[in-house]
Amino acid sequence: MTEETNQPEATAEETNQPEATAEEETKVTESERVKLSICEDQLLRAKADYQNLERISKIEISQKVTLKTNQLMLGFVGIYEDFIRAKSALENESANIEGLEGIIKNMKSLLDENHIEPIETKGKIFDPKFHDAVSTVEDNSLEEGTITQEVAKGYISFQEVIKPSKVIVSKKNEKE
Amino acid sequence: MAEKIIGIDLGTSNSAAAVIQGGKPTLIPAAEGTTVAGKAFPSIVAFSKDGDLLVGEPARRQAVTNPDNTIREAKRKMGTEFMYKIQGKEYKPQQISAFILQKIKRDAEAFTGDTINKAVITVPAYFNDNQRQATKDAGTIAGLEVVRIINEPTAASLAFGLDKNKEDMKILVFDLGGGTLDVTIMEMGGGVFEVMSTSGDTQLGGVDMDQAIKDYVIDEFRKKEGIDLSSNAQAAERVRESSEKAKIELSTVMETEINLPFIAQDSSGAKNLEVKLTRAKLDDLIHSIVQRCKPSIEKAIEDAKISISDITKIVLVGGPTRMPIVRKFVSDTVKSAESGVDPMEAVAFGAAVQAGIIAGDVTSDIVLLDVTPLTLGIETLGGVREPIIERNTTIPTSKDKTFTTAADSQTAVTINVVQGERPMVVDNVSLGSFNLTEIPPAPRGVPQINVKFDIDANGIINVTAKDLGTGKDAKITIESASKMSEADVEKMKTDAEKFAEEDKKKKEQVDVKNEAESFIYTTEKLVNQDLKDKIPQEQGIKITDAIKDLKESLTQGSEQIKPKLEALKAIVNEVTTELYKNATPPPGAEQQSNQEQDNSSDQPTDEQKSNPEDNEEKAEPNSDQKSENS
Repeated sequence: MTEETNQPEATAEETNQPEATAEEETKVTESERVKLSICEDQLLRAKADYQNLERISKIEISQKVTLKTNQLMLGFVGIYEDFIRAKSALENESANIEGLEGIIKNMKSLLDENHIEPIETKGKIFDPKFHDAVSTVEDNSLEEGTITQEVAKGYISFQEVIKPSKVIVSKKNEKE
Repeated sequence: MAEKIIGIDLGTSNSAAAVIQGGKPTLIPAAEGTTVAGKAFPSIVAFSKDGDLLVGEPARRQAVTNPDNTIREAKRKMGTEFMYKIQGKEYKPQQISAFILQKIKRDAEAFTGDTINKAVITVPAYFNDNQRQATKDAGTIAGLEVVRIINEPTAASLAFGLDKNKEDMKILVFDLGGGTLDVTIMEMGGGVFEVMSTSGDTQLGGVDMDQAIKDYVIDEFRKKEGIDLSSNAQAAERVRESSEKAKIELSTVMETEINLPFIAQDSSGAKNLEVKLTRAKLDDLIHSIVQRCKPSIEKAIEDAKISISDITKIVLVGGPTRMPIVRKFVSDTVKSAESGVDPMEAVAFGAAVQAGIIAGDVTSDIVLLDVTPLTLGIETLGGVREPIIERNTTIPTSKDKTFTTAADSQTAVTINVVQGERPMVVDNVSLGSFNLTEIPPAPRGVPQINVKFDIDANGIINVTAKDLGTGKDAKITIESASKMSEADVEKMKTDAEKFAEEDKKKKEQVDVKNEAESFIYTTEKLVNQDLKDKIPQEQGIKITDAIKDLKESLTQGSEQIKPKLEALKAIVNEVTTELYKNATPPPGAEQQSNQEQDNSSDQPTDEQKSNPEDNEEKAEPNSDQKSENS
């Protein structure tokens, strides 16, 4: 019974079907197309995000490695400087320093391998890019801004200052 | 992606900046590198003897050599008429601050890889409208649109995520910096942070603590060895450096040792410094300095008219508050503090969070609304201030009051707009004044003058006075409370850009010079060592001449160096190409050397420069290049 009563309706639908299908199909394709373009857009964005992430991570990792290496090397440099001090103290006492010199040489080559170089200060003109002035001394015989004393050694790595030199700088006495 | 907005903590002695990356605030490092101790950007501006602009770390480093042309703490002068006179030129405090912001902008752009045009900048809670406006102007001059000015304690609270709490809170922000202490009590509720009170000490901070530790170490050595290290600059610097390190270590361990071998020398030989420092000793050394913070806390609580038990949250800001001793002092005096954010970075992080909320990168449960920091009013008879909009009123807002004349037949009134909490006009800051004229003559007390204050979402104040009898009105717009005209701001902006342009030129000059020097070096090495016998004499002379030309140009500008460098490159290119053509390929390198010939015409000069010594090494980048091209 139910089937029978349903039948005519179904037939009626069937007769209408070709038109409806065409219309619906256009609708479906249209909505699929919209969906597809959204997906494509999302894919493109996800790809771009991923590429950005990759790029940023690469930079971040290399920055972190450099920072950590520099921190480590600066710690090492402190001990290296202690050895140099030991050497000059022992030299004054005319002790045998050959072995010590060997150690210092090895330490120096470790610094070289890591591209850590001391910043030159002796007789140079003060440059805030490399030097940190702790005080000034009046000296009219020198060109203004000449470094007269290095208070603490500074270092560069790949042309980047990892620790500026602390220096005392000459100043002309304006009264004279 | 939404446009990036950065958050800037424009501090008195140091500034910091942060940006939201991947949903989290990230500190922006200064171009000078991150190994420099302390915050990224010292708030110092200087002009070198040659008139070059130095900002941040380089300016700090040269400060003692050039005190007359070095400006520190320009923040303290913001919003005043003060002028800095440097090398015959005058600068407003906001121009000096702009130089710092400009550097931050530049370094932020280098860090993020994006152009940065917008920023949120923080100011102390007690800043008045003039000071806030001056801060905004500084941003504009630096080429940054300041999308919001927020209070430093509010920013710090945001960094700790206190805006996520649903219940109403009373927050005490304890900000101990290098040289200043600021205590702020705020109330948070209904999406608004309201400042209840502020107090502080401008001569108290971490610098005093470092000095106390250094003095102790030097004193211990003097007691033991009888030598005064403070008279030896090198030794004193070593003590300073290791004292600071010891102080930081004592935040995580209970005991540390300062070990400085060969620090001094006397007739008996070299002397070593060895001082043990415990946390208890450190506590003892800085106890009196920490205790000096107490009155400021008490005053803030008293001014807020609350008791200690009413405080629900404590936020610590500033480097010295990392120390357990300082944290313990605060928790003993009030209660224990929030944790999880580095107190040195909290304000910049909070500014970045606010920037992220505005840019849509960060979601927040609350809408952080701006409030008027100070009461706005007008001057009335006898120099008395009549408040119209009370401080901490959420903006935008609009309020009005009706006044009358003070004398018979008075035909004009002057409306003087003032800002501040004091009852007398002279003790407050005047933001501007205007006249309402043509009031019909009438006995005093009869005319009705309605004065209306409108503050829009950007904090721009419109004041309108209207004669209710005639309907005639007059108004003033206070958007540039620092009284700088747009033309002035534009001019300063251009000036600031000029410096940026000069910086760029200088950098290019250095780059070109470096490239030239390094190319000369490699070429000389090539000619004199590696290919000494392989270069025909005629070409050798050509190269030598080109090197000489280039060397002579090095003292000139980059425009003069460039063509000489290109000329040398071309000659070297020609010679090496010729050489490789004639060279017998080493066994097994046949394929590569063929490619070499194929590519010789469009070969990048850079590669020739970097690897001229080795045939095989040189061939590799080429084969790479080939595969990329195909």
